[in-house]
Amino acid sequence: MPKCLSARLPWFEEMTPEEILGQLKQKIGDAITQSEVKGIEVRLTVKPEQSWEVCRLVRDIGFEYLNCISGADWMTHLEVVYDLSSLQHLNKVHLRVPVDRDNSVVRTVTDIWRGANWHERECYDLFGVRFDGHPDLRRILLPEDWVGYPLRKDYTDERLVPYTEYGMEEKLAKAEGEKAAPKDAKSLQPPAPAKPATA
Amino acid sequence: MDRPIPIGTTVVMERTGETMEEMYVNMGPQHPSTHGVLRLMLKLDGEYIIDCIPYIGYLHRCHEKIGENRNYTQIIPYTDRLDYLASMSMNFGYVLAVERLMGQKIPERAEYMRVILAELQRIASHLIWLGTFGLDLGNFTIFMYCFREREMILDLFESVTGQRLNYSFYRIGGMPMDFPETFLTDCQVFLTWFKPRLPEYDAIMTDNILFQKRVQGVGISPPQVAVDYGLSGPMLRACGIKWDLRRNDPYSIYDRFEFDIPVFDTCDVWARYMVRRKEMEESVKIVEQALAQLPPGEVMAKMPKTIKPPAGQIYSRAESPRGEIGFYIISDGSPKPYRYKVRSPAYVNLSALPEMLKGCLVADCVAVLGSVDIVLGEVDR
Repeated sequence: MPKCLSARLPWFEEMTPEEILGQLKQKIGDAITQSEVKGIEVRLTVKPEQSWEVCRLVRDIGFEYLNCISGADWMTHLEVVYDLSSLQHLNKVHLRVPVDRDNSVVRTVTDIWRGANWHERECYDLFGVRFDGHPDLRRILLPEDWVGYPLRKDYTDERLVPYTEYGMEEKLAKAEGEKAAPKDAKSLQPPAPAKPATA
Repeated sequence: MDRPIPIGTTVVMERTGETMEEMYVNMGPQHPSTHGVLRLMLKLDGEYIIDCIPYIGYLHRCHEKIGENRNYTQIIPYTDRLDYLASMSMNFGYVLAVERLMGQKIPERAEYMRVILAELQRIASHLIWLGTFGLDLGNFTIFMYCFREREMILDLFESVTGQRLNYSFYRIGGMPMDFPETFLTDCQVFLTWFKPRLPEYDAIMTDNILFQKRVQGVGISPPQVAVDYGLSGPMLRACGIKWDLRRNDPYSIYDRFEFDIPVFDTCDVWARYMVRRKEMEESVKIVEQALAQLPPGEVMAKMPKTIKPPAGQIYSRAESPRGEIGFYIISDGSPKPYRYKVRSPAYVNLSALPEMLKGCLVADCVAVLGSVDIVLGEVDR
């Protein structure tokens, strides 16, 4: 039974982020490669092999509420990001698990928080991270026959309007008028779409 | 109310003494009570729902991918389309995230304007919910009542922003312009009109024995399940958990107002109805206090032309009418976000729907789904 259901008021056993980090390091210090306290938030980077154990431990020391699981593509590697909080206190835990780009596998946390189910499916859908042990790992937002993982940085689609900086179009048009060379006009074309990344 | 038959096929088979085949029934994607395009695959045993598999994504618009290709200001109109019934709250959540990332303070008057508009939006959103929920259950009158009042709020918003649905009125660093001169009196007039209407809703819904019988004891999500799934907003407060980000993790200037957080602990559709019904009263209180305290002054802080937050990342959350709207932004110091992710409340709340539907009658499915208060624009992003 979650602690928040007891009759005690919120904020009853507020720990400082430093204390939380100390506890985590004491119990499972070898899984944590990087740690930082920023305000009320504990930020951790965790080895992918032990991410499940760390999540379990973080849940047990009082972070029973899973805010979201998101992914990030850092070109060299992918990252699965867990944002955890509590209904008891304001402290937060921000867990980052770097995973390999080509063989991205993390153990699922659906057995810790059932709400992780859809978050992980979304992360699989858009980033291609496979969650080992997930009960129903299918695409969720995109059609089932979609090719590629759209939120990876190397994914391109000709239908996506590229970003232009404020005032850039005018500048480019002006430069084009001055030079009036067909070579420059060619460079204004959006870059040809690369082949989408395949699974 | 106890269900006559516990969940599970074996029990039913024993009762009838014969092998029964389960049946799959599709509800949606074009169903009037799915509030958009949502497909539910219901696994039925006679009249009882054994399992439910939601299929979403029909409205997927690549919100996050587009966000990575726009600068911080250009994203604001896209956030309107997330939850198109509560655009102000979506704007609020987003600009709050960017301002927190930048460490930007905004003028006092702008804070008050934000709160007033967001709370009016909460009333409007709950009115739509109440109206369509009544419609789902066959009560057409409440629908007309609610839309009459919502229309007045939309008129107020139109006088401020010029838009009626997708406002894009919040800016990073404040608000683009002040209230028009007539707004304050118009708002007072609306509140004076609106407050006596709430007992009318009670007469037609809350005190209605048919309505009570229809919603009590249906679609139960125990508190353990609610926390496990990460439900938020009225869904969580209907499980007896007093958790509201406006109070528990105060953002903007919500710590200056006095208001209650309605909590009901029956965990069913009735509790969700009562929480939203009471929240309208509390929003009225907040708007009244904010109008009384509204200070004069600037509404926009001095901002650079191109907004470039320092490199870093933030997960920022705010309370939308549907629950916790979170924005996870990674900035690399350039004018556009490196990664932009939306944690939408309806997406998470909907993921717990199969849990709530198990053991319900097919006829109750619409009531349970209606009580989740989904907006598919936000679920599918």
